[in-house]
Amino acid sequence: MRKLILLATVCIALQGCATPGVQPWEREVLARDDMQLDANALDTAFDDHIYFSKEGTSGGRGFGGGGCGCN
Amino acid sequence: MAAAASAAAAAGAIDMADKDVKIGAALAAATCSLLGVAPSVSAAAEAESKWDIDSAFLYYGESDGRVKDFSVSSHATRDFGDQRKLGLDLSVDSLTGASPNGAIASDGAQTFTSPSGRETYTTPAGEIPLDDTFLDTRFALAGNWSQPLARLYTVNAGLGFSSEYDYQHIGTNFGLTRDFNQRNTTLSAALAYAQDTIKPVGGLPLPLAQMPDAVDDDDDDDMSPANRGDASDTKNVLDVLLGFTQVLGRHTILRVNFSYSDASGYLTDPYKILSVVDPVTGELIGRTPAPGESGPTGVYRFESRPDSRRKEGVYAEMRHDFSGKVLQVGYRYSTDDWEVDSHTLESRLRLPFGGSNYLEPHVRYYQQTAASFYRYSLANTAPLPEFASADARLADMSAATVGLKFGHVTAGGNEWNARLEFYRQMAEAPNEFLIGSQPGNTQMPDFDAVILQFGYRFKL
Repeated sequence: MRKLILLATVCIALQGCATPGVQPWEREVLARDDMQLDANALDTAFDDHIYFSKEGTSGGRGFGGGGCGCN
Repeated sequence: MAAAASAAAAAGAIDMADKDVKIGAALAAATCSLLGVAPSVSAAAEAESKWDIDSAFLYYGESDGRVKDFSVSSHATRDFGDQRKLGLDLSVDSLTGASPNGAIASDGAQTFTSPSGRETYTTPAGEIPLDDTFLDTRFALAGNWSQPLARLYTVNAGLGFSSEYDYQHIGTNFGLTRDFNQRNTTLSAALAYAQDTIKPVGGLPLPLAQMPDAVDDDDDDDMSPANRGDASDTKNVLDVLLGFTQVLGRHTILRVNFSYSDASGYLTDPYKILSVVDPVTGELIGRTPAPGESGPTGVYRFESRPDSRRKEGVYAEMRHDFSGKVLQVGYRYSTDDWEVDSHTLESRLRLPFGGSNYLEPHVRYYQQTAASFYRYSLANTAPLPEFASADARLADMSAATVGLKFGHVTAGGNEWNARLEFYRQMAEAPNEFLIGSQPGNTQMPDFDAVILQFGYRFKL
């Protein structure tokens, strides 16, 4: 019985370690330009500056470019 | 036309490429096919090019003659090989138009002293007062370097500057990332520190001081406007970002960022004011300028904000490929000690068509709660609060954006694109902030804006 519990624990632990992911040869989609997390870098930089100037909170994605945003 | 000329030039350059480049390109193509990685652009063009440049022109225009912004921006990346990369960002903004000054609409015309303290401007009866005296040009420059530090580690460091007539920004950032789990998991930590200098036209208004009469230039050029303090002040901002990126499968990637921001120093908007109103009727208290002077026809006070702000946020973004179509969904929650809590939900869907084109619809929804010191106006009998601001950007507010982008990839691997978006902002003054019979919600400075962008991405 104790062996069974130990085996179950080890199995669960191994299951926990099996984080999602892919092998290097399975990255053909992930390597595409439009799948990159910063694919719209210039659009998001423009947007971040507009919303930083017009709304009460900003940031979160990365670091902003600075500026007054007073108007 | 420019795109066609550039494509022809790129094709010519490929024709003229020497044997080494052709061999390099063939090797790159062979490597790509061996790794099962599709080369995204012409391998020959990639082997030759040193800089990858993304540039765009942006027009932002608000309804009713309010803010207009023309902006040119470019983001250049140079790959030095071995994952060593230099990034340079340059942008120039030109801002004109009118911006709400924080005062409420009134039954009569309202006259205000301009931010310089030397002129006046008048708002017709029943309209939300807009200050149309500002005009600004902003230059921003940033550089970032990233390189591997050891196996699985990457380090990056950057510097940024921006300058406008009344505001200077200098900032630095440093980050470290580590890959785990066959590079399916990436953890990152980054720090940024910025020091900004605010030098408002006419000097820093004293917190909650009354807007005085305009200084008459003819009398004495050296005379300073009343109720102003020092000429400038500073603001320091420390940002910490912890990031987690996880590949969830062959078609899905997830990023989660936790951010902390600590701003201290001068956080007030020197150009915003509050109307002082009768506690019973809620109407503006009238005022008469001194004999022979021009100045405000009502009582207005400059705003005052706390000198520190701590923000925490979480940002999550996922990209998923549906056989060539890419869905991007992002969510941000932010909370701070000014009690401004916000939720932002955003999504883009990239739809390729015709082999070299794509359409990308974009939607965004934003919602925030009011800052604890937000006031629609100030009652003239009450003791003055320590902090108060009537800036609609600190009110209960929601905003929505819808847009569409079209992109075309040329034969040479360059891309031109155009984006059109509409933004609508709706603010509310919570009932507890209304004084007397004020019709707050119908009198908020809501606006619509249009965003138009033309971009060109090319290699040099």
